[in-house]
Amino acid sequence: MIKKILLVLLIVNCYLLIVNVAHAATPTPEDSKQARTDQIITKIASLTAQLKLVEKRGIIGTVTAVTNTQITITDTQNNTRFIDVDELTKFISPAAKGSFGISDITKDTTVGILGLYNKESRRILARFVNVITIPVIIHGGVSAIDSENFTINIATEDGKQMTVNVENLTRTYSYTQGDDYVRSGFSKIKENFNIIAIGVLDIKNENKLTATRIIFFPEIPSNPKVNSALEKVKK
Amino acid sequence: MDFYRIIFAYRSMKKEKLILSFVAVFFGLLVAGIAFYLFQTTKTVPSDTNTKTISLVSPTPTASSSISLTLDRPKDEEVVNSKILVVSGKTASNAVVTVITGSSDDVITPSLEGNFSTTVNLDHGQNILEVISIAPNGESITIKKTVTYSLEEF
Repeated sequence: MIKKILLVLLIVNCYLLIVNVAHAATPTPEDSKQARTDQIITKIASLTAQLKLVEKRGIIGTVTAVTNTQITITDTQNNTRFIDVDELTKFISPAAKGSFGISDITKDTTVGILGLYNKESRRILARFVNVITIPVIIHGGVSAIDSENFTINIATEDGKQMTVNVENLTRTYSYTQGDDYVRSGFSKIKENFNIIAIGVLDIKNENKLTATRIIFFPEIPSNPKVNSALEKVKK
Repeated sequence: MDFYRIIFAYRSMKKEKLILSFVAVFFGLLVAGIAFYLFQTTKTVPSDTNTKTISLVSPTPTASSSISLTLDRPKDEEVVNSKILVVSGKTASNAVVTVITGSSDDVITPSLEGNFSTTVNLDHGQNILEVISIAPNGESITIKKTVTYSLEEF
């Protein structure tokens, strides 16, 4: 009799064990519904994140490498940027006579990229790649004036000496507290004035600039760093 | 019918045998509990492997200077659909601020709090915007940003 009782107890225990494990392993209809709901929520969250992850951006840089699907550039902040290119990307160059494509993009070309920036991958999927020429802006102090050749030497903070050609088309402006921002002329420019020149670099000489605009500040001396750089050059 | 027999057997059992039975039940439940616990621990929760730590480097100041300059508008690499761009920020109140793009420029003086705001024209496509703040002693600070004027939809 006792044996029978113990056998029954053993069967009950085994039953409890099987039911317990089986219940944990087999998902109930409620569980599968919950899992499906979780999946949908995850998908919606992922799509929302993707929408926020991508935004329009435009950058400028110098090409360092090109492949069929990617352009690597160094941007204006000296960061390396990776640009993805696909069949929808349009390539434009003002100098191109015929068709222009990625194979025409060469190293050291300055390009403007307009496309979709992915904040996660930090890459841009280019929609437009333009070959561009960006104006050069020089800021420094007037170190010398050549009135015969209409050139100005500008010393910059980093110790460079730039020669600026002043052409007939160059627009010159001055800024003072009294007169504010007014049109001026080459003859008004004096040594040690704080000056900004905007123009295009000479292809043959990187230290020569043809100015399209000049802004000078008669009341503001050149940067002390410019003066110290000049002294070093003179020594 | 078997159930009543079991009950009858329980009643007729001696005390020690009853205890032994309860011990057996307890032991069985313990084994079942351990098995269930072990099963639960085999479930793996997917870890978030996409989490990345990105350190951002501020690209704004180009040189250490006694004067400061911050630009509120525009954002770097911003794409705008208007040819006229509002440029605003904060610098030293006694500084002179020059805002330059490829085709236009403006020279302004900030308010007593150092705030400034002006508008400049943009060329179609990418533009380099350079804002130079010059202190009365000649010291200066420059912020360079890229702004794109485009009406393209993509």
